[in-house]
Amino acid sequence: MEQQNKIVKIYTTPTCVYCKMAKEFFKKNNVQYEEFNVAEDEKARDAMVEKSHQMGVPVIDIDGEIFVGFDQQALKKALEIK
Amino acid sequence: MYDTVIIGGGPGGIAAGVYAARKKLKSALITDNFGGQSLVSADIQNWIGTKSVSGLEFAQMLEEHLRAQEGIDIIYPDLVEKVEKISEGFNVITKKGEKLETKTILATTGSRRKKLGIPGEKEFDGKGVAYCSTCDAPIFKNKIVAVVGGGNAGLEAVLDLLSYAAKVYLLEFSDQLKGDPLTQEKIKSDPRVQIIFKAKASEIIGDKFVTSLKYEDLETKQLKEIKLDGIFVEIGSVPNVEFVKDLVSINQFGEIAIDHKTQAASQKGIWAAGDATDILYKQNNISAGDAIKAILNIYDYLNKK
Repeated sequence: MEQQNKIVKIYTTPTCVYCKMAKEFFKKNNVQYEEFNVAEDEKARDAMVEKSHQMGVPVIDIDGEIFVGFDQQALKKALEIK
Repeated sequence: MYDTVIIGGGPGGIAAGVYAARKKLKSALITDNFGGQSLVSADIQNWIGTKSVSGLEFAQMLEEHLRAQEGIDIIYPDLVEKVEKISEGFNVITKKGEKLETKTILATTGSRRKKLGIPGEKEFDGKGVAYCSTCDAPIFKNKIVAVVGGGNAGLEAVLDLLSYAAKVYLLEFSDQLKGDPLTQEKIKSDPRVQIIFKAKASEIIGDKFVTSLKYEDLETKQLKEIKLDGIFVEIGSVPNVEFVKDLVSINQFGEIAIDHKTQAASQKGIWAAGDATDILYKQNNISAGDAIKAILNIYDYLNKK
């Protein structure tokens, strides 16, 4: 991806391994993202539950498309990463 | 045709992969993750040669070590769906449709978390029903939750939850907790914890999210209900053996029965190591050692043929 035109948000907790894996995946692929720590940020926690209709992390929001968990293949597809 | 196909990417699978490559066996390793069950561990302090390592770093170490080997095909991420017996060996068929012909198989598939298997569990998975307290405990801040299972994993889950939740019920099937006495003391001293013994979870109820848990009091045979927001299931694990269950003998616990000297399963040409087998102790270091034993025995078997 040369220029990122998609807005990526990730909802995490500090102790969640799959959140770390997802963030490393973003870094490796030069994906800019905004992180919300739902252990601290109550508003973000509510937004995450509202968006994903569930209570597990990570939740990844790519331009409004919601991904629960870390599914590398699905993220690659959504971000057009080869 | 492969000499051997290793199934699984935990410490057993990786150890096997490294040894198979060094023995110059024509080999492949199929896995959908690296690190096995320890991947979600916050801190591993007993992997020999390493004082402390997180599950994620551990997984990366294993993956790097495997990828440093020459001559092993790594099929990732994928899962084995089925193994078929053919005259010269086996066909290994993956979920993504790959088909590998091989002379031998080493199953290092480990185990996965056991589910309750009660009504509502599937429906509310992620909607209050959770299986990873280290991951999801913070989301239950100021909520009422229950942990099902009074073994070590259950006690750890209670501790994780006590940093956030308003109240934690601990449901145990028997009349006593089985986990570490030190952790037991910590839990028992917290007024927010209520331990319920002889409780058999029977139904999870909710609307959009979980609202209550029904359980049977095994003492009085009464059905009781707790109003709550979350349920963490920590009732042990079940071996991943489905793909070979028609080929090898499986014991009463669902584990692959092996010859403990060679790691060979009952079907000629299949070996197994680690948590999927009928070993007494399920440990990363043991899985690695046993898987190495298996590869060395596979090597001897192929050379004698």
